[in-house]
Amino acid sequence: MEPKYVSLEMRDYITGMGAETLNWCMQCGLCTNLCPWRLVPGEISEKFNIRHMQRLGQMGMEGFEDEQVLFACSTCSMCQTNCPRGVKIVDNVRGMRSSIVGAGMAPANLRPILGSAHAQGNPWSGPREKRTDWQQGLDVPQFDGDKEYFLFVCCHSCYDQRSTKVAKSITRLLQRAGVSFGVIGAEESCCGESMRKLGDEELFQKLAQSNIKLFNDKGVKKIITTSPHCLWTFQNEYPELGGEWEVIHYTQLLEQLLEDGKLSFPESLGKRVAFHDPCYLGRHSGIYEAPRKLLAAVPGAETLELTRCREMSLCCAGGGGRIWAEVPMGERFGELRISDAVGKGAEILTTSCPYCLNMLTDACNSMDKQEVLEINELSEILAASLA
Amino acid sequence: MEKKIGVYICTGCGIGDALEIDALAGVATDEYEAAVCRQNAFLCSREGVAEIKHDLENEGINTIVIAACSPRVMTDVFDFGVDKVCERVNLREQVVWSHPPNDEDTQMMAQDQLRMGITKAKEMQPAEPFMAEDLSRKILVVGGGLAGITAASEANKAGYEVVLVEKSDQLGGYLKEVHKLPPSRPPYEELQDFDLGAVTGQVTDQPAVKVYTNAQIAKISGAPCMFDVQIQQNGGVADERVGAIVLATGAIPYDAAKLEHLGFGKSADVITAAQLESMFKSGDVKRPSNGQPITGAAFILCAGSRDPKHLPYCSAACCVESLKQAKYFKQANPETPVYIFYKDLRAHGTYELLYKQLQKDGVIFVRGDVTGVEEDGSGGLVVSADDVLTGSPVMSESVDVVVLATGMVPTTALGKKFKVQEPKEGEEELAVPEDTIVVSNNLNLDYRQGPELPALKYGFPDSHFICFPYESRRTGIYPAGSVRAPMDYWRAVDDATGAALKAIQCVQMVSEGKAVHPRAGDLTYPEFFMQRCTQCKRCTEECPFGAINEDEKANPLPNPTRCRRCGVCMGACPERIISFKNYSVGMIGNAIKSIDVPDEYEEKPRILVLACENDAYPALDMSGIRRMSYNPWVRIVPVRCLGSMNLVWIADALSKGIDGILLLGCKHGDDYQCHFIKGSELANIRMSKIQETLNRLVLESERVRLEQISIADYSKLPEILDSFAAKLDEVGPNPYKGY
Repeated sequence: MEPKYVSLEMRDYITGMGAETLNWCMQCGLCTNLCPWRLVPGEISEKFNIRHMQRLGQMGMEGFEDEQVLFACSTCSMCQTNCPRGVKIVDNVRGMRSSIVGAGMAPANLRPILGSAHAQGNPWSGPREKRTDWQQGLDVPQFDGDKEYFLFVCCHSCYDQRSTKVAKSITRLLQRAGVSFGVIGAEESCCGESMRKLGDEELFQKLAQSNIKLFNDKGVKKIITTSPHCLWTFQNEYPELGGEWEVIHYTQLLEQLLEDGKLSFPESLGKRVAFHDPCYLGRHSGIYEAPRKLLAAVPGAETLELTRCREMSLCCAGGGGRIWAEVPMGERFGELRISDAVGKGAEILTTSCPYCLNMLTDACNSMDKQEVLEINELSEILAASLA
Repeated sequence: MEKKIGVYICTGCGIGDALEIDALAGVATDEYEAAVCRQNAFLCSREGVAEIKHDLENEGINTIVIAACSPRVMTDVFDFGVDKVCERVNLREQVVWSHPPNDEDTQMMAQDQLRMGITKAKEMQPAEPFMAEDLSRKILVVGGGLAGITAASEANKAGYEVVLVEKSDQLGGYLKEVHKLPPSRPPYEELQDFDLGAVTGQVTDQPAVKVYTNAQIAKISGAPCMFDVQIQQNGGVADERVGAIVLATGAIPYDAAKLEHLGFGKSADVITAAQLESMFKSGDVKRPSNGQPITGAAFILCAGSRDPKHLPYCSAACCVESLKQAKYFKQANPETPVYIFYKDLRAHGTYELLYKQLQKDGVIFVRGDVTGVEEDGSGGLVVSADDVLTGSPVMSESVDVVVLATGMVPTTALGKKFKVQEPKEGEEELAVPEDTIVVSNNLNLDYRQGPELPALKYGFPDSHFICFPYESRRTGIYPAGSVRAPMDYWRAVDDATGAALKAIQCVQMVSEGKAVHPRAGDLTYPEFFMQRCTQCKRCTEECPFGAINEDEKANPLPNPTRCRRCGVCMGACPERIISFKNYSVGMIGNAIKSIDVPDEYEEKPRILVLACENDAYPALDMSGIRRMSYNPWVRIVPVRCLGSMNLVWIADALSKGIDGILLLGCKHGDDYQCHFIKGSELANIRMSKIQETLNRLVLESERVRLEQISIADYSKLPEILDSFAAKLDEVGPNPYKGY
């Protein structure tokens, strides 16, 4: 076998692109063992090994740029939160992707998505002016300096037909609780969280700068996000770019309102419900209790826990840009979630992230389980339980 | 001494419920006419012991037989002073706890055990400790490096006079060449400066420490507390008498000239870790080939280590030393590319944090075998390796120097092998494997068995690497630091402290006439009845500790303070002239003969078990404690070491009609567990000679068996004992019964 050449220049380039802790890795392999890819069969599972990918990066050696390897990680953070060396594995994945995407070598299937975000401020190929279409029939207030909160609705819930229900439910809940909030509308751009994870640093910077300017110009102080992804990037990535606000996920705010007695759920559900912890709400942001407390407040909601929950929650496979990946049936993480929920006797599998909603719904449909298991978003259960 | 025997039977702990005590007492009173025989339901109580003491004072009892629990317990309670003989008969663990109560065979077993105990007690004499004249408690430390200085300083702090001998003109050893030390303090990420003067000052400023530099040991004769040392210095010779010795002569790096496959000798820029250390120490860090600054380095760990063609072992310290040296480069310039090629990175304990820091510093760690070190054509060097972590061959970028982390060779391994004597033509080769002794010019012992410490297979003068790391095979001499085993600075400090303590124990024990480890405190020692000696040399050859010298006529010259009291000499002696006050060939032989052997029609076979006191005997106790049961035919005789077994015992037992003999000893071989190094191996060799005895008696060879037992094997004992009994049943009864 021909030797592979070690390149310190390449290694340093990758670390410079954000893989700052790449060298800390001691190659113990715990990451690979904890990776959800080990739970499914198929070509990607066989090819993608996060330890090996980081090893190639550490040595600046060729091989990691294979699309099936480089873009396989869903950034669920299962490995990162358990790494004995504290390696920021998600950043390392991002840095390695940046070294390729930044050089103009994004995979073909991702180009339209990145292009749409670039041109229209969202990755869903939706025209910018249609960002507010979901509001039709609702009296959604416009944000101005007098409003306490700015409600930032995830692009997914602006454009995806199914997902718009999430935006609507959240609006209804906030209005019912008398929260002072508003939306900005068409000028908003995608938060860019997934774009950055895909390695398009330039695009992320553009989106972030545009949002920061917009939000600051409008006098935003506090933000409610509908998606944990937006929450995470606003909290963790925007501050160093000049976007410093108090950011909160809608479940956190509703939990507070519930506790303050400003919200109640009188209508009974009468179903067994399991909650799927989104990676970006749970492991990335540490929020496990708020959605559970809300669900517990719904009368007739018999809650049960999935086999893997909270810190051990299994990824839906939608993070890190994987929501745009084509994965053959039988190899999707979501299918494991559906089987688990059905096996435990759940009638509803709920979550609080639009990507999870999307991935779990796909998995449920492809397994033809939609008759026995309903997939929805927590805000939908809560809104239906309002009197 | 006129013997007056008192037999004391304890009926507590279930003994009284399981045995017919009056019948047992009858053995003492009727068969042996013991002056006193008493029963007590709680013999180890204050009242029980007071009763015995009353008899000692008022009845003139001077020989006590305690028939109760195992001799391994209640040793402090049943201590009646050195002028009394006390023998313990194990009725509890090895009779009633391991056999059915109120059973004829259990009763017979108890009675036989008592017979053997009384028989031994009748012959035992009170110990008379060996006390010589002019005993020294000084401690000699050979080698003035970190370990030697530490041992000397620790012994001095404990109040002992110390003589420290250093070969070179300055103390400090390897430390003299060292630039910085790896971290020993939080946050364990930065290298540590050290003050050599402060290290050597621990001994140079002390009035009770006499330091000889530029000096070497010309000769050491004598024995613990009586070592006469000749120290050669500046052309003259100084004499010192010392009590114990710490050998701390250290190790040297493996010869890199043998590492041509890693480029050494082919390129001037392939250097050793020691060379690099000197460069940093002097501040003159340059490429040897052209004197230019070093702008990139690759370290090859395990260079000639863990390699069957070179040093097969791990040298323990090189991983951390290389991390330290990599840090030198990174501290000088964080941009310097540094590679570390390793097999396993053994950065134990807090060194992990140094390793982590170097990863953060961007050092490239490559796990796998180095396949080549080549010139790259532009004056640099490239290293290729099979990288385990990517599963592919890899090649480094060009570096200026390649540093070989060579392993440690103990200073005891340097020199030619010592041979006691060549076998003369026609003489058969000695069956006992010889010790590996290398004439390394460290101690120059005036011992018949050779001038240095015997070594284990890699040349380190260890004794027992599992159980007692500080021991050597020469009593009173304790190796410490990297001469004993490869180790780093901080472990050497601990090691030297431990060795100093061992040396102190030795001078204290010996000056009180006591044995040192493992029979610590034993006051008996072997005595030779020289009139009957045939100068066969077996005792001198077989003593695992080289305790016996010989004169010109090959008469043995025992050195009791070198002796560990194992009795290997006693087992070796064909004339049976070696005995202890409480342990002799005759004593054990008579105990065996006192076993009552029923005739063959009773179908009650008898099995003699000679059990090593160190592992097998406690294992038998443990199986009793756990109430495991085994056949009642066995009669257990504890022996100091299986090596003390004399073949005449086997002949005695067989000619008395005992059906089989089981020898329970420790594991022998490379990873032996024998407390006396070679005892169980010698027993095994002697076993081959048992065949003669068996042939003479026309008996089957299956009647004698040797089993290797470790203390943790107690659960296997019932199976071992019962399968032997089953085998003997197959073979049939010993035809000599009734003679």
